[in-house]
Amino acid sequence: MEYVNPEGIREDGRRPLEMRHLHAEIGTVARADGSAVFEMGNTKVIAAVYGPREVQNRSQQLNDQALVRCEYTMPNFSTGDRMRKPKGDRRSTEISLVIRQTMEACILTHLMPRSQIDIYVQVLSADGGTRSACINAATLALADAGIPMRDLVTSCSAGYLNSTPLLDLSYFEDSAGGPDVTVGILPKLDKVTLLQMDARLPIDIFEIVVQLATEGCKAVANYIHEVLLENTKQLEYRRGL
Amino acid sequence: MGPMNGSGDLSSEMEVDAFRRLFPLWFHERHLLESIRPDGRSLGRARDTTLALGAVASADGSALAKIGCTTMLAAIKMEVMTPTVESPDEGCIAVEFHMPPICSAIVRPGRPAEVAPVVSKQLSDTLLRQVVMTFSGMIDLKDLSLVSGKAAWMAYLDIYCLDADGALFDTALLSAVAAFCHLKFPMVSLNDDGRVVVVSGESKGGKSGKEAVNKEQRKLNLISIPFSLTCTLHNNYILADPTAEEESIMETLVTVILDSSLRLVSFYKPGGPVLAFTSAVM
Repeated sequence: MEYVNPEGIREDGRRPLEMRHLHAEIGTVARADGSAVFEMGNTKVIAAVYGPREVQNRSQQLNDQALVRCEYTMPNFSTGDRMRKPKGDRRSTEISLVIRQTMEACILTHLMPRSQIDIYVQVLSADGGTRSACINAATLALADAGIPMRDLVTSCSAGYLNSTPLLDLSYFEDSAGGPDVTVGILPKLDKVTLLQMDARLPIDIFEIVVQLATEGCKAVANYIHEVLLENTKQLEYRRGL
Repeated sequence: MGPMNGSGDLSSEMEVDAFRRLFPLWFHERHLLESIRPDGRSLGRARDTTLALGAVASADGSALAKIGCTTMLAAIKMEVMTPTVESPDEGCIAVEFHMPPICSAIVRPGRPAEVAPVVSKQLSDTLLRQVVMTFSGMIDLKDLSLVSGKAAWMAYLDIYCLDADGALFDTALLSAVAAFCHLKFPMVSLNDDGRVVVVSGESKGGKSGKEAVNKEQRKLNLISIPFSLTCTLHNNYILADPTAEEESIMETLVTVILDSSLRLVSFYKPGGPVLAFTSAVM
């Protein structure tokens, strides 16, 4: 199967190093302390943050830092066939854990001891790269909630098909069975917090693909910066400053 | 929940917010005396409603409904199934209402909200109701049949609450009805085993060579469309379309459902203090 045709165009018309169209909105869930919708192409994810608030399960309370919990759900209709078990299946549990640990690395939890921060992520439409979109949406929602963080966390995926490194895989390219690398970084500090890969890849090509994914993350970070700046300007305007 | 007065006087702002949190009942009653509500609406006025059809591209029919801040996303996916023996020419509709923890601070993961199954049951009753003498449901199940006795449509309706700010049933019903309005039947064809199979919209390279049985994607025929309104009753005041804050402190809730010919379909008052029948009907 050809994923990159001889002229170098992918199945959805992009070039190999081109990301999908990004779109983000802040403050979509009025009841939540912070919320955001993040779109990467056709993948659309909504994230809501509740916290810091009182710990609901006293036995899990941590005395010197905040407890971060995360839940990832996909509604029945978000993928092509209707799924039977939207949450509690292994993939959702794994992704919940991954997102939790990624965000925990960047939230300054020691500033909020004995409290709980809940991050709920719901996929509205899935077209590959849901993990990355979830992390980006969670970052925006945490920023909207005003929770202190070391830096933003941005994430992007990359792969290698038909001897070409590809940035931001769609579902079609992802299901080709080639390697799929997801990278999450803290852009200002230039540190990697998440790195996952499946399938096989020679080490030198692996470095190229990781580098590509990191570039993608930096592009996402720029976009998120713009969105947050715009949001702050709106808030200032509404307060009459 | 912004500040009450536009002039940013910080000391009185803090008092109003604190008062609202500590004594919500007094706060709302003070407003009711002036016949107005905290968000500026009059007692009988509902919030702004918006509706967007086709919100989910991967579903056969979908809609996003918002009443004020309450947001619901409804999507329908159709599958082919064999009908039951008792009703060989009727399809089936499965309604599921989910309240994920994203929608409200009160819902915890692992423990579903109390109100979710109630709304779910109300919804399926309204959409599928069949009265013995007259038929008053919205959808005729016979419409969902493909081949009598062999194949029929199973419609899975999933409604996800993305933001819970009062009037959950109204928004859910609105999004469900809109999703059904937007629904287009997927194309089907007979495969080699003689079974009816769903054909995906795009033809990839024309490998299959199967002829689709129903080429034109028809829409579902809705008989009468129900609309609902939820009101809370407090002392002698009737408030239309309550927000979550108002719902939690008011005494009781009434939901009325009418259909497009203005007939009363359902009247629902789940417990709460007894009040005079006439005032309730009004």
